[in-house]
Amino acid sequence: MECPGRERNGTMNESVVAQMVVSGALMGLVYALIAYGFQLTFATSKSINFGQGELVMVSAFICLTFTNLGLPYGIMVPLGLLCGSLLGLFVERAGVRLALEQKSEGWILLTIIIGLLFFSVSENIWGRDDRPFPTPIPSDAIQLFGISVTPVEISVAAGVFFIMGIIELFKRKTLLGKAFEAVSADRDAAELMGISATRTVTLSYALSGMVAALAGILVAPITTVGPTMASALVLKAFSVAVVAGLDSGFGVVVIGLFLGALESLTSYYVGSGWREAPGLILLILALAVRPTGVFGKALIRKV
Amino acid sequence: MLTVDNLYAGYGASEVLLGTSLAVKQGTVVALIGPNGAGKTTTMRTISGLLKPTRGEVRIDGRKVEGMDASRIARLGLAHAPEGRKVFGPLSVEDNLLLGAYSSLPKFFGFRGKAAHDLDRIYELFPRLRERRLQSAGTLSGGEQQMLAIGRALMANPKVMLMDEPSMGLAPVIVEEVFATIRRLKEAGITLLLVEQMAKRALEVADYAYVMERGRIVVEGKPAELQKDERVLSAYLGDVAAAG
Amino acid sequence: MLKRLVLILGAEALLLVVLAAIPMAVNNSFVLGLLTLLTIYGILLIGLDITVGYLGQINLAQAAFLGLGAYTAALAVTRFGCGMLTALLAAAAVGCLFGAALSFPALRLEGPQFALSTLSFMALTTIALNEWESLTGGAQGLQVPRPHLFGVVLEAKGFYWLCLLLLVCVWIAMRNLLSSQWGRAFEALRDSPIATDAMGIGTLRNKAAAFTLGSGLGGLAGGLYAFNFQYLQPQVFVYDLMIILLLGVVLGGRKSLWGAFVGATIIVLLPNLLSNRLLFQVFSGIGFLLALAAGVRGLVRKSTRPFQAVAPVVAMGMLVVGGIFTANTEDWRKAIFALMLFAVMVGLPEGLMGFAARFLTRLFRIAPPALPEPAALDAVLVKKETDDRPLLELLELKHYFGGVRAVDGVTLTVRSGRIHGLIGPNGSGKSTLVNVISGLYAPTSGEILLHGKPLVKGSLFKVALRGLSRTFQNLQLFSELTALDNVMVAMKEIYRSPLPLVLLGLTRGNERRARAESLALLEMVGLKGESRVPAKDLPYGAQRFLEIARALARRPDLLILDEPAAGLAQPDVNRLLEIIRRIHERGITIILIEHHMAVVSELCDIVTVLDYGKIIAEGKPDEIKRHPKVIEAYLGGTVEPLDQQNSGQGNAVPVPA
Repeated sequence: MECPGRERNGTMNESVVAQMVVSGALMGLVYALIAYGFQLTFATSKSINFGQGELVMVSAFICLTFTNLGLPYGIMVPLGLLCGSLLGLFVERAGVRLALEQKSEGWILLTIIIGLLFFSVSENIWGRDDRPFPTPIPSDAIQLFGISVTPVEISVAAGVFFIMGIIELFKRKTLLGKAFEAVSADRDAAELMGISATRTVTLSYALSGMVAALAGILVAPITTVGPTMASALVLKAFSVAVVAGLDSGFGVVVIGLFLGALESLTSYYVGSGWREAPGLILLILALAVRPTGVFGKALIRKV
Repeated sequence: MLTVDNLYAGYGASEVLLGTSLAVKQGTVVALIGPNGAGKTTTMRTISGLLKPTRGEVRIDGRKVEGMDASRIARLGLAHAPEGRKVFGPLSVEDNLLLGAYSSLPKFFGFRGKAAHDLDRIYELFPRLRERRLQSAGTLSGGEQQMLAIGRALMANPKVMLMDEPSMGLAPVIVEEVFATIRRLKEAGITLLLVEQMAKRALEVADYAYVMERGRIVVEGKPAELQKDERVLSAYLGDVAAAG
Repeated sequence: MLKRLVLILGAEALLLVVLAAIPMAVNNSFVLGLLTLLTIYGILLIGLDITVGYLGQINLAQAAFLGLGAYTAALAVTRFGCGMLTALLAAAAVGCLFGAALSFPALRLEGPQFALSTLSFMALTTIALNEWESLTGGAQGLQVPRPHLFGVVLEAKGFYWLCLLLLVCVWIAMRNLLSSQWGRAFEALRDSPIATDAMGIGTLRNKAAAFTLGSGLGGLAGGLYAFNFQYLQPQVFVYDLMIILLLGVVLGGRKSLWGAFVGATIIVLLPNLLSNRLLFQVFSGIGFLLALAAGVRGLVRKSTRPFQAVAPVVAMGMLVVGGIFTANTEDWRKAIFALMLFAVMVGLPEGLMGFAARFLTRLFRIAPPALPEPAALDAVLVKKETDDRPLLELLELKHYFGGVRAVDGVTLTVRSGRIHGLIGPNGSGKSTLVNVISGLYAPTSGEILLHGKPLVKGSLFKVALRGLSRTFQNLQLFSELTALDNVMVAMKEIYRSPLPLVLLGLTRGNERRARAESLALLEMVGLKGESRVPAKDLPYGAQRFLEIARALARRPDLLILDEPAAGLAQPDVNRLLEIIRRIHERGITIILIEHHMAVVSELCDIVTVLDYGKIIAEGKPDEIKRHPKVIEAYLGGTVEPLDQQNSGQGNAVPVPA
């Protein structure tokens, strides 16, 4: 097998590796953010949206349209987040609620199907080509400790930590957030307190959609916008969510950073076509060795 | 305050309740006793809406509630301290209590202030909970969890409260404490439907009692009468009692 | 009986004849191409249906197995100069191999995690096919000459007949398999993995076998695919294809060979349907009307939820409207698939064939196959000699859930031939104790001995193989299976038949014997008349008895009954007593967990009382009833025991608590 990294080996040095690790890790935060979206819905309903990547992509396209309409960045972002939430609501209503009521796993296929629908609709509305995503954040590299990072990359990190912080604060500090946690701890008991579990699930899908939209907005300047922009992203987000465990917000950040760095190194040493491979292998291995994830809680089998 | 009329409910093909009827008057403590599998817990779950009845009627304060979601019934003034306590393990004791008053509190900010008075009341009733207010509920002992479950239900200032097997899995000393609490609540005028496997204890505290067997109420009456009733002894205690 | 045979076999034979004859009647290479693809997809979907239908898991990797098979066959021919048959065998073998490798990590998982791991495998395969250019030619593609079959050059027609022949073989083999013990076990896994383990059917190994087989069929289909198109490109075997395959299985109907075939027909015809606008409009219109009719009917009869009635109509409506306004339906291919799949998933979850099968059975009034006479009970449950020696011994057994000491140092001996009662109030640890003994939980500490030898800990499956069988407090029946099948599933290990023989259909004798013996057990618990009723439709009492019959099918030395009387009405309790006595007569040792004192004192030779995870008393039922600690535990508090005065304490052994 050919190894494109080899000829560069001579000039390779530590700073190149550090550079790869840092920019990979920053990208890994996007995976972490999408994975966090999975955790939000998994906590309340033990279900996730298999078409989450399409939410990322559609939200990015919608934001691109808003920008092209001349809306300033500061208005486009909240509007985009709102659209993301609405898309999340749609997924919950059309694909998840019925299956959960019937206690079936039909939601897996239904969310895949809805994702497919979104994909097809966007490729017909916006075309199949990748388009640049204008952003007011400059993309000229700046040097930090000898490593060049772009403000866009920093904005990714900032955005990820900001939204995760806000949602965690919401969960801990508001009564609605506590209700959210109560439903994940014990659905029936929460119902007895007057907390509607169904509405909480709906809310979690809206939040998850919002998170997906933000991921789209943050990553679009780097990846450009196109129908397939999120298909690789979401696979890696799956890996991050599963490897970290579907109930640990801290875990997804750690694993996201790790996986981002790992695949950036893989693409350097093995070949850029293989960059998705480590995440996928990690996912299968993690499921085999520790199905509840590295940071997840163990399950008790009940009769 | 709470009336149940000819209630039928079950899980899938198996009907557990076969026409249960009972009533709880305002300000009284009513005990529901009977052997395992008689349908006591199912009755409670059906009243509070966790289980949908196939037939029959449940009224709270005159209002028909059967078939509603549990959360809606809870908002109408029913609190249920469920079997097995079911506290929210990862959340703190105080958060558990706050969630007990969920329907009457603001959902985003300022809920702590509004709930302060009720919180104090509960902490007075259970000083142990005040000591552990920031500890996560899952780390409490069984007895403390039971206190928390009761306190959480009381936070809503319910019109009617259901209490399911508060003595389950608790050591005798703690059971003693739980019943002392129930007596205090009774003096304070609570309306309570109590399911308990320790029949004797339940009858001591109740104003009125129902004995359930195989999905139906078989005997009812004042505790003093029931304690003497041969049928009750044999129904509930099997032939422990009859053996002598 | 005859009618059934004629109709079912007749339909299959007719289909085969028609399919084989078409190329002779119509000399059209386009039609021939479609037919060949139909047979290939048929094999592929039958394989996929094993996981999606029988195991009930969403498998997103079948397209990967198709790809792996295709490239294997191609490389076998181009690199090693293999013949057609060798190459196809290699393709199937590689499918099996990767399937087995993936199945061990993946099949420990359920639902979404399983779907995710297959999805990852799918993506990995695509990457490997694309990137490993030295082997696969990467995106450039790979030319594959069609090799000779035993020196004969196969033209298009010949190749089609070969594919058809293989489809027929696969069809017959799968029908043999799925109507055998294996097929039942696959379905049982879906309903209750815990019960399959407890019935000595290794959940994991059966799942792995099913998945491996399905993957192997994927590989075989891949080999045929390669020789059909004679040119391979990695972009074919991607996620999109996977969705189409799922569409085929779901639309055709799960758990059905016919369903897989119908599904294959649909996905072969779909591209042609889409390329013709008028045809598409007609079909979407018909679909819309069907959805509308079904929806209205469901709403009027209140047999479906509003969402279930309305959503398919909306989805099909979008197809109709879209069909009118879009210029090129081909562009909207994915959306069309999505809407169709959505409408079927929500509105017709059993698929076209599931619906048609129900309809046809009613139309032709096809009677189910006749049942044999039940075997003699003495032959099924051979009377065992009992010797009153210790059968099961527990030494200082403990099990903690976090800080809760559910079982806190239990030492107990169960003697052979006894009915040993285990009682105690709610939450006293009875159920946890039997869950530890039967291997559902591994104990925190302590020893378990069966026949004096240490028992495996923490594995339901391995404990079951040592001759221990149990029922569950919360019923764990295979709810979709009939009563008879529930019992027959548990006989799998007794009639273990090698897979090749099963595939060839040579194990019918065993099957008949297992059926007769299962009927004998059903007769014993009084359920012979209900043997064809799905377990979930039986009355509650009957479900309890069925679980006992199923546990007996294991021919256990030790039978654990976990609260068998819970929720039973008095006549059923009496029936239960009778059943337990009859089991006991056969020399089977029984541990009876009960809450009802009456049942316990009626049956048991010895009773152990648990409270707070500890033994508080042990003795004969009469003694236990008078034991002050027992009365206290049951009544609560420190109340004077009832009737204490005139009974005395008996001679029960008080155990320090």
